[in-house]
Amino acid sequence: MNIDFERISELITKGQIEQLQEQTNQAIETGTEPAILLNKGLLPGMDKVGQLWRNGDMFMPEVLRSAKAMSKAMDILRPHLSKDDMGSAGKMVLGTVAGDLHDIGKDLAGMMFEGAGYEVLNIGIDQPNEAFVNAAIEHKPDVLGMSALLTTTMPRMGEVINSLKESGIRDEMAVIIGGAPVTKEFADEIGADLYAPNAGSAVELTKQYFAQNNS
Amino acid sequence: MQISVMPKTNLTMSTRTNYSIQQTPHFQILSDNQKERIYNGMLRTLQYTGANVHHEGARELFKKAGCKVDGIKVFFPSEVITNALATVPPVTEVFPWNGDESKKITIEKDRSYFGPGPTPPNFIDPDTLERRPYIRKDASTVARVCDALPNMGYVQSLGSISDVSNGLADVYEFADMVRNTTTPIMSWSFTRNGCRDIHRMAIAMAGGEEEFRHRPNYIFYGEPISPLVSDFHAIDKCMYCAENRIPQVYSPCAIGGGTVPATHAGQLVVALSESMVGVIASQLISPGTSVIIGGVQSILDMRNSIYSYGAPELSLLSAAHTEVVHYCGLPMYSQSGCTDTKKMDIQSAMEAALSINAAMMSGANFVHDNGYTESGMTGDIFQAVMADELIGMARIIEAGIEVNEETLAVDVIKNVGSGGHYLYEDHTMKWFRKHWQPTLMDRNSYESWQEKGQKTMKDRIIEKTRNLIDNYEGPNNEVPENADQEIEKILQEAEVRIKNDPES
Ligand code: B12
Repeated sequence: MNIDFERISELITKGQIEQLQEQTNQAIETGTEPAILLNKGLLPGMDKVGQLWRNGDMFMPEVLRSAKAMSKAMDILRPHLSKDDMGSAGKMVLGTVAGDLHDIGKDLAGMMFEGAGYEVLNIGIDQPNEAFVNAAIEHKPDVLGMSALLTTTMPRMGEVINSLKESGIRDEMAVIIGGAPVTKEFADEIGADLYAPNAGSAVELTKQYFAQNNS
Repeated sequence: MQISVMPKTNLTMSTRTNYSIQQTPHFQILSDNQKERIYNGMLRTLQYTGANVHHEGARELFKKAGCKVDGIKVFFPSEVITNALATVPPVTEVFPWNGDESKKITIEKDRSYFGPGPTPPNFIDPDTLERRPYIRKDASTVARVCDALPNMGYVQSLGSISDVSNGLADVYEFADMVRNTTTPIMSWSFTRNGCRDIHRMAIAMAGGEEEFRHRPNYIFYGEPISPLVSDFHAIDKCMYCAENRIPQVYSPCAIGGGTVPATHAGQLVVALSESMVGVIASQLISPGTSVIIGGVQSILDMRNSIYSYGAPELSLLSAAHTEVVHYCGLPMYSQSGCTDTKKMDIQSAMEAALSINAAMMSGANFVHDNGYTESGMTGDIFQAVMADELIGMARIIEAGIEVNEETLAVDVIKNVGSGGHYLYEDHTMKWFRKHWQPTLMDRNSYESWQEKGQKTMKDRIIEKTRNLIDNYEGPNNEVPENADQEIEKILQEAEVRIKNDPES
């Protein structure tokens, strides 16, 4: 059967979750190569979303809906994909640090990563340092994301990074941090790999990071 | 250099509105029916959706009062809510610690007080005009400058201190501010311990616990979390305030389209419900203790993902919220004078002017965030000084027009007749001083403006602000010595507390 990749891309940009799931299932059942479906249908759809977003033709909730569609399609595809097929889009552990109850910025970032094909494990707000380390040990994420909205809780991020080092797993993942008071300088200071000023740029920066570091 | 400070008067601080000779021109956004529906939306939400309360003691309290408790979720039957509303006091007074009656706050339906806002991480440095972290000395600067500004009816710090022990920004802030202003402060804290330290300082300033009960001298500010969560510390601090009869604000920062529905009516239902949890707790613990609700109401900017402090929706939501909160019989904590810009510019003035006027016309009781820039990330004393002027202008509009025989002046009109002028009239002598006089707005002729250095509004704001910072002493030397010592002692003890337990 001929799969209409353009249609699949369009379902992504329009955020039509159920129809996209249907089409994805159908494509797999009829023997479409999962990697081809990903590269010719889903990812171009998300690229288009990124483009529309940058041009100001799409708004946050629309982008998030597309991201959700992408993530649902990825849930179907993931078991059929090899690590190589996935490129950098792997697993992410994400949470807000201890003592901090700010939620929404972290969630936005998580949804954007889902949109890029990541499997995102959102461990929630007010998470003690050990929760990050334990989740990292258990789930072996490619990316660990931390959010802090308070200057008083920002130091927790550095502590988590130190604990990751002590556990000997620091180099197995990229650490990305964010939140309104967080800066690039702070990220450098505590030894985070990445800082993103907003959810939109976070994914872009992460992609660039992996492109540079894996080559 | 001598500097003259305009005294806070009843007109500048607050206007007793709606008295018979004068109609206050407040606007109305919602019809009675709409208010009722939003109110009922809150009742439905608290009864059937419930709110999470991360505090066992509070849940016990609610359960005893007849609420259904399921795990951390509490469902509030409407009679629990209406009973709580019935005991909120219609009027509470807050007294400046030096007894200055002109700065007394009356928490009451028809009075409004404007002030700065709490806790942004950054501050615009008064010397360099650059953004930098907020430091300890900024707290006393803000307190002193606001002490001198005639339209700042209460004070908040415009920052959270970064250069003291982690976890003590709240306590140091109060210690320094209270000694630099007699205008009542709205304080905040991380935990109950911080509350206690601040309260002890306030008691020291009041001259004893009994004195504080009679003459409370500050208001406390705490926040539940949208959607529908009261975290442990938020409700714990609320309970502490109720136990100690500290007037308090319990209100969320609701983000339209993010943490609450994108529809304004839906936002108000959620925000009202969250605040109501604090109202109920406070009244169950201590019926008749003062509580104010409202909070930051604005939208998530869906292009830049920032919480917009300059959006027109902020003013619309806050005005409508004011009406619903008044419908509940409670005082309203609103906001204005804030902006999304990063530097003092035309946008900061535009957004401040619009929101200040809207807040004034809405009849809100406490209006915070005058001096917030960069969407709440940076406090700016220059913005507060500019806001002070705008509040003064808006007050004139809100004061309305007095209409009676004297003001109709029909006899004077007859006297002057056709042609001629009113400049020599006794009537003019008597009344012209009621016209508002600017302190920042330029009304010079072109020539005198040139002569005086061709200053722009920005130049004048900077000049006025720096002049106050450099020359206005504030009440620091009036602080009773024993109170001063007590405050230092409390700070030392707080250091020990936080050293022993950084989370305390
Ligand atoms: C809403 C809000 C709250 C709500 C949170 C509700 C919720 N469900 O999340 C409530 C009311 C609970 C709250 C509480 C408090 N808050 Co608050 N809050 C805010 C506010 C107004 C908006 C935050 C927000 O959601 N913005 C919208 C989102 C979309 O933006 P964002 O979070 O910045 O996220 C974006 C980026 O930063 C980035 N990002 C975020 N996280 C991550 C993570 C990763 C991995 C990546 C890549 C990117 C990323 O991407 C996002 C999208 O672009 C900010 C002010 C501000 N302008 O930020 C204050 C603010 C952060 N809060 C502040 C304070 C002081 C408090 C309290 C201490 C107040 C009190 N007195 O109790 C409490 C603390 C509670 C606690 N222990 O955490 C201060 C912080 C000051 C400081 N020195 O750090 C601020 C700056 C407000 C102020 N001016 O006072 N707050």
